[in-house]
Amino acid sequence: MLFLAPVMAVLGAVAVFPIAYSLYISFFSMKLTRPNRTPFVGLKNYTDLLADEAFWGAVWRTVSFSLVSVTAIALIALLVSLLLNQEFRGRRILSTILLVPWAIPYVANALMWKWIYDSSYGALNGLLYQLDFIDKYMVWLGDQDKTLFLIANAFVWKEVPLATILLLVSLKSIPSDIYSAARVDGATVWQRFVHVTLPAMKPGFLLVMIYETMMAIRHFDLFFILTEGGPGSASHVLSWHIYVETFRNLSFGSGAAMSYVLAIATFALSYLFIRTLGRRI
Amino acid sequence: MSDMPITPPVDRIDYRRRQKIGRIVQRLVILISAILLTAYVLAPVSWLVSSAFQTETEIVSIPPHWIPEHPTLRNFEAIFTAGNDEPVTYETRSGTDPAAGDFIPSTAENLLPSMANSLIVATLVVILNLLVGVPAAYAIAKIRFWGRNASVYFILITRVIPDIALVVPFFLVIRKLGMLDTLGSLVITYLAITVPFTVFILIQYFEGLPDELDKAARVDGCSRFQALIKVFLPLSMPSLVAVVLFTFLTSWNEFLLALMFTQTSASQTLPILLASFTSDFTVSFSFLNAAGVLAVVPPVIVAIVFERYIVSGLTAGAVKG
Amino acid sequence: MMLKDKTRRLGRRDFLRYSAAGAGALMAPGLVRPAKAATAALTMHTWSAAVDTVQSHLSAFTKETGIPVNYGNSPWAQYREGMVAKFVGDAPLDVMWVSDAWLPEWAEAGWIAPVDEFDNLMQYNVEAEDFCTDSMTYGGRQYGLTYYTDYMAFFYDEAKLKEAGFDAPPSSWDELVEQSLVMKEKGIADYPMMLAMAQESWLIEFISTLVYSHGGRLVDDNGVAVMQDPKEGAVEALSWVVDAVNKHEIVSPACVETGELAGLKAFAAGNHAFAMVAKYRLRMLNDPEQSQIAGHVKQAMMPQGANGSHATVGWMRFHGMSAQAAQDKARAENAAKLIEWFGGKADGAYTFQKLLFLDIGAGFGVKPLFEDPEIRAAYDSYGDVDMIQAQQALARKKDTVTPWFGEWNDTNGSAWQSAILGNVDAAGAVAKSADLWNQLKDSY
Repeated sequence: MLFLAPVMAVLGAVAVFPIAYSLYISFFSMKLTRPNRTPFVGLKNYTDLLADEAFWGAVWRTVSFSLVSVTAIALIALLVSLLLNQEFRGRRILSTILLVPWAIPYVANALMWKWIYDSSYGALNGLLYQLDFIDKYMVWLGDQDKTLFLIANAFVWKEVPLATILLLVSLKSIPSDIYSAARVDGATVWQRFVHVTLPAMKPGFLLVMIYETMMAIRHFDLFFILTEGGPGSASHVLSWHIYVETFRNLSFGSGAAMSYVLAIATFALSYLFIRTLGRRI
Repeated sequence: MSDMPITPPVDRIDYRRRQKIGRIVQRLVILISAILLTAYVLAPVSWLVSSAFQTETEIVSIPPHWIPEHPTLRNFEAIFTAGNDEPVTYETRSGTDPAAGDFIPSTAENLLPSMANSLIVATLVVILNLLVGVPAAYAIAKIRFWGRNASVYFILITRVIPDIALVVPFFLVIRKLGMLDTLGSLVITYLAITVPFTVFILIQYFEGLPDELDKAARVDGCSRFQALIKVFLPLSMPSLVAVVLFTFLTSWNEFLLALMFTQTSASQTLPILLASFTSDFTVSFSFLNAAGVLAVVPPVIVAIVFERYIVSGLTAGAVKG
Repeated sequence: MMLKDKTRRLGRRDFLRYSAAGAGALMAPGLVRPAKAATAALTMHTWSAAVDTVQSHLSAFTKETGIPVNYGNSPWAQYREGMVAKFVGDAPLDVMWVSDAWLPEWAEAGWIAPVDEFDNLMQYNVEAEDFCTDSMTYGGRQYGLTYYTDYMAFFYDEAKLKEAGFDAPPSSWDELVEQSLVMKEKGIADYPMMLAMAQESWLIEFISTLVYSHGGRLVDDNGVAVMQDPKEGAVEALSWVVDAVNKHEIVSPACVETGELAGLKAFAAGNHAFAMVAKYRLRMLNDPEQSQIAGHVKQAMMPQGANGSHATVGWMRFHGMSAQAAQDKARAENAAKLIEWFGGKADGAYTFQKLLFLDIGAGFGVKPLFEDPEIRAAYDSYGDVDMIQAQQALARKKDTVTPWFGEWNDTNGSAWQSAILGNVDAAGAVAKSADLWNQLKDSY
């Protein structure tokens, strides 16, 4: 298909080699500090993962982080998009304001939240203290029960705008006469929402679920700048684990194997979403 | 016999009042949620802005000064004081000298050039995404051909590998192309990481448009391509804008690949420069925040320009199946 | 066929229309690599510190030798990983900054080359601190010349100490606890001691200092882990930290999220009375523009443990040469000239190390500079040169610097944090770290 040619050309040229390359090196024991000893080990890098406690701990934390963030993103984005779909004064301004988090580069976003969460002079402590919600400064990122949620909050805050836009686009594609028809039929607000709005938002939800899940399970920047996996291993998620394995432990082979496990999980989830929410594909 | 005459008039008044109350409740809900949302979004941002105008000593006050007591513009001055093109000499070096109280990073003047770099990269990525993504999405959504599902999953597969695993192979490709330390390397790799999702967004939208449109256009003598340009694109403004925003901001935000592929100020993008301000020897949080504030401006302008196509739904209602 | 032709035509027209905006941008500099200059330029890469000072010194180099240098820099926190990508991807590179901790790893991987065959570089060893030369040596070969060196120092806020009624700073860790408890009681500080125990590259320097001052080691001379041995100080040191946080509450429980910079800022804001930070921070701490306790910050010898000493940890960073530069004789000679210009003398003087000290306070690795009047004057303005030198004499390099250091470091840091958080006891945490160490050692 000629229409598909440009995409295939771009992806073929830039993406296929890297993907094949990673798969290839995942079958080798490739430790960069031993450049002359990189034997082919078959599936050993993969089977080793099964017994790797740190890996499974990281998987578990990634699952909780993604579950919490994606749910929150989808819910908040749903509410915001419904709000922005209403006619009211100041809607344009509000919609622009709501885009601001998205516009802050992740690095700046992470540094900003680090600064806000700081337990000795952070804004969060300052605010809660002044409002009398707390009587002494709290430990935030350093508290292992809170870390993952605080990072999730920074992630959600940043990701909601994109999700909102995607949902809003599908809301806008609902022909207004469907609503009038439903209203004439005597449908209540709730009925209209459930039977007209929600089904029409399916494509938007599909995009949000695929994209945000993808982003959440591989998210890296916030973990890097806020905690480096700490305290203890409270925020040692899979993407951080892969980064450490690849660039700090310099084990490119097993790092690539982990990436492939993550990739397969991502693909499986996306497939699931497409099957349950997708229209035809 | 209809039911109408039997309905007592009292009921009708009740119904109207209920409608009125409903409208007030609706307004209240909108108002309250708008306020809550704005607070949630703006609270961190306003702190970012406020601290950008504070001195380094004021910024660590306990409790924080929400409004700067000694507002200063020095952070912004450092960014906007254009550096001359003369090579830095011993005499002209800033000497990042904390003792002189001047701990604004000596690379402050590179911030605007790096923003320009980010802007160039993001703009090109947006344009290329549209050129490459629109026909592909149209084909997948509207044309039945062998291997359609396969192409969807192929596109998906190129995106499921985490970026960390792609860094080294990407690097090898970029070096083969002789593009290390150039903006072109970022344009190419960002295109590769954004285009799959661009196609997905557009497929979802095109599929919602009735097939009859396509058929009607073809009957009128349009080629596939003309049908796409003349019929589908005008109807798809919201989704195109979503793509523009998505690709622009993904490029604007990207850190890891830019970190790996750029080395000199000629190609470093904004996130890299922001990260470099947290240097080994000294860091100025107020300066970082000032840089963060500036980083928000270009995307917000882009958003203001394009967003009305989504929010006001210029084309909503045009599609009536 | 019809369709195909039409598509092509329209496609091209479309492309022109849509990319009108991008056309100008395509010509912008930097989008494609400019043609190579006639003289082979050197490529130097550093982390983003003292950028202007480096640039000024580079301008002078090019003026003097006619050799152009492409200078690039990337953030310190991501520097090592970025360099790994550059090495693996074989990016052009001649001279770069190297941390002592990475030397074995980079040398084993074949990324950097020894420079000890260049006599113009080796002549400076006579005047260099042995600590530095030692730290740049791996497998009997020397890999560069010093960029800067420093050590972990113990600082106290004299005003708070007096307010609490003490005349002298603590000389032992136990005494520090006593003084801190008094300060807590008098409300002088909630958490009198500042310890930055967040996961970051600084953590190993803090850990090593605590262990050394408790009279211990992490690893013995043969590279075997001894940290798990209760007599070797590591367990004792970690237990001290755990008690300081959880029992005495003189160190904030937030220490596991506090990085060196954040901790430094908190100390400078007057939140604490004692702090363990790099010695070069003294200058910033006594600068009224940046510190609310300026003028009150004094250095004392590192407190000692029950069976310990005032020992501390030292580190250094150096200018190294890439293996690819070393392969080409002419290129290697130019690279050596550049290393000499920075790490040795430029125009007959240790210009760069002196500039670096005057600009940001970073320690130099050559002894004669201590006699330089400008440097003495600068030191006198914010510190006590005798104290600085006395502590420097007790600085030892990290005993964990091996090819597998990078692999062990993250796990070790998270084990120490787990003990502070109360997930495991100190002995268990250290034992876990020791196990990994020995396992890694065996695999090499």
